Amino acid sequence: MTDRSIALPIIAVAVLVIGSAVVFPSLAAAVPANQVPVTYQPDAGNELATPSGDAWSDVDAREIPLTSAPSGLPEASIVNTEAVEVKTAHTDSELYVWLQWEDQTRNTSEGSLDSFTDGAAVQVPANVTTSPTVELGSQDSPVNLWYWTAAEGPEEALAGGYNPGSITTMENATIETNALYQDGTWTVVMERSLVTDDQARADFDSDQDIDIAFAVWDGDNAERAGHHAYSEWYTIPLGPEETGPAAQYLLWAVAGVGIVIALLLVARTRGGN
Amino acid sequence: MSLEELDTDLAAGVDHQVAMVMDLNKCIGCQTCTVGCKTTWTEREGTEYMYWNNVETRPGEGYPKDWEEKGGGWESPERSSVKNGELPGKEEYGEAWEFNYEEALSDPQNETLEPKGVDPEWGPNWDEDQGSGKHPNSQYFYLPRICNHCTHPTCVEACPRQAIYKRAEDGIVLVDQERCRGYRYCVEGCPYKKVYYNAAKKSSEKCIFCYPRLEGEGPDGEVSGPICAEECPTQLRLVGFLDDQDGPIYKLVEQYEVAIPLHPEYETAPNVFYIPPFDAPPQIDENGETTDIDRIPSSYLEELFGERVHEARETLRREREKVNRGGSSEVMDILTSKNPAQQYRLEVFDA
Repeated sequence: MTDRSIALPIIAVAVLVIGSAVVFPSLAAAVPANQVPVTYQPDAGNELATPSGDAWSDVDAREIPLTSAPSGLPEASIVNTEAVEVKTAHTDSELYVWLQWEDQTRNTSEGSLDSFTDGAAVQVPANVTTSPTVELGSQDSPVNLWYWTAAEGPEEALAGGYNPGSITTMENATIETNALYQDGTWTVVMERSLVTDDQARADFDSDQDIDIAFAVWDGDNAERAGHHAYSEWYTIPLGPEETGPAAQYLLWAVAGVGIVIALLLVARTRGGN
Repeated sequence: MSLEELDTDLAAGVDHQVAMVMDLNKCIGCQTCTVGCKTTWTEREGTEYMYWNNVETRPGEGYPKDWEEKGGGWESPERSSVKNGELPGKEEYGEAWEFNYEEALSDPQNETLEPKGVDPEWGPNWDEDQGSGKHPNSQYFYLPRICNHCTHPTCVEACPRQAIYKRAEDGIVLVDQERCRGYRYCVEGCPYKKVYYNAAKKSSEKCIFCYPRLEGEGPDGEVSGPICAEECPTQLRLVGFLDDQDGPIYKLVEQYEVAIPLHPEYETAPNVFYIPPFDAPPQIDENGETTDIDRIPSSYLEELFGERVHEARETLRREREKVNRGGSSEVMDILTSKNPAQQYRLEVFDA
């Protein structure tokens, strides 16, 4: 076998391995599983605070599937919202979460006897070093809720599980929200300082990942309280290491090919002797 | 007396249970109870449409319209799950119209009294005095209704925030206005539709059995009964604790079983009990002769009060017969007493 006849299959294998790792998303998702992309835009605070701000066009979105929350409330398994698009960004002081979902009816009032408001919520651990259950945390491991309704605007709450009475509204909400309804779609931006001086509120270091989950209420479907669509936990990768599956597959592929080449070279050298 | 000796089942954690007996044979449909309640409790923004006490004509659609078709209550006697209920809309309660009093009263020749600027199609008592049947056998009676302060209330069970509860000292069902978020699961869960959503306050409200009056904050700072009871011209209501064995309510409900709850099949164990109509004149045939057919079909009364209504009516007839024959009857004594101290056992609230 000539050198050339050995080298060609090696190159072909290398191209195949590297190519498939890059091309097939099942092998190498563009974004690691359960991760919401985040961008650092130190000077774009004003734009990020508005749902249609230009700065958001530079930010990747993640479509997050939603399912009905297991509240046990009447009709709880029937929810209208199947997914929410999420983008996140931060400046040196603020975190911005952009949410967009389809909703054919704009329900902005609880001012009649049988009307309910559209709404959305973001959930983060009250202490970012803990890993609470996604079902509103627990007494030992509570969560912060950033809650927006079309009727009332922003509200913050501390929750410790689904048991009645576990949700406490926090006075003086520190989140700000801006909402836009257009063409059957709600877009809401929630903004909060990365750091607060309140022990019951999550503090975010700019070098630490943030666990985050999402919920949406469709007022037209009488969704309220625990009757809503919700997501699993996701991560905002603020931390230093961004070695998700894509990068890992690529590294393994390169390393594997390298090893094969090295072994073949060793064999050829020995054969030549 | 220990609770074990009582026939009365009290809710867990409740020391006593307020109760009311209403004698439907005395109700003249004057709505004085309704107005007394309205002017005392629901003349605030967001409560205009609410009648914590209402009086509806039966047979009839009721208030809110068709409330008996709207679900709520327990699925079964085991009380393990609440039947899903519907939220009535404003049109089913009826709007609180403004009337043209000034015009109609100053110019009665040309103006009729009517709601201003609307052409309503339904409202509370829209079908008042309509009833059913044709002359000479038409029939109806009045049914006054308040919250039943149930022993097993499904409004309490339905609330995901524990904002609605039974008061430990007397079993009155109250909505904690601080905790309530206006989710309205209680409105859906109550099969009697006696919890109301205040859209201005974004919280739910209901009959409070006039507890401030029971606690001595009534007129002249004295203990008094609920306003609906005290204002009633025919004094058809008895008020007290169900578990007060010396009181008339215990005797009518537990001992003689002539006072029975509305729709017992909802399984919430109401603490408002009714003396059913038992003395309507019989139907008249085409020759003008009286028949032995009940004017108010007993099947209809059974729909409202369950099977026990027949036994209760039998007992009432028997007891009255005793008195007519010159005998004595404790049941009839209680039902015809004009002694307020017997009707309103207020001393039990003062204890």
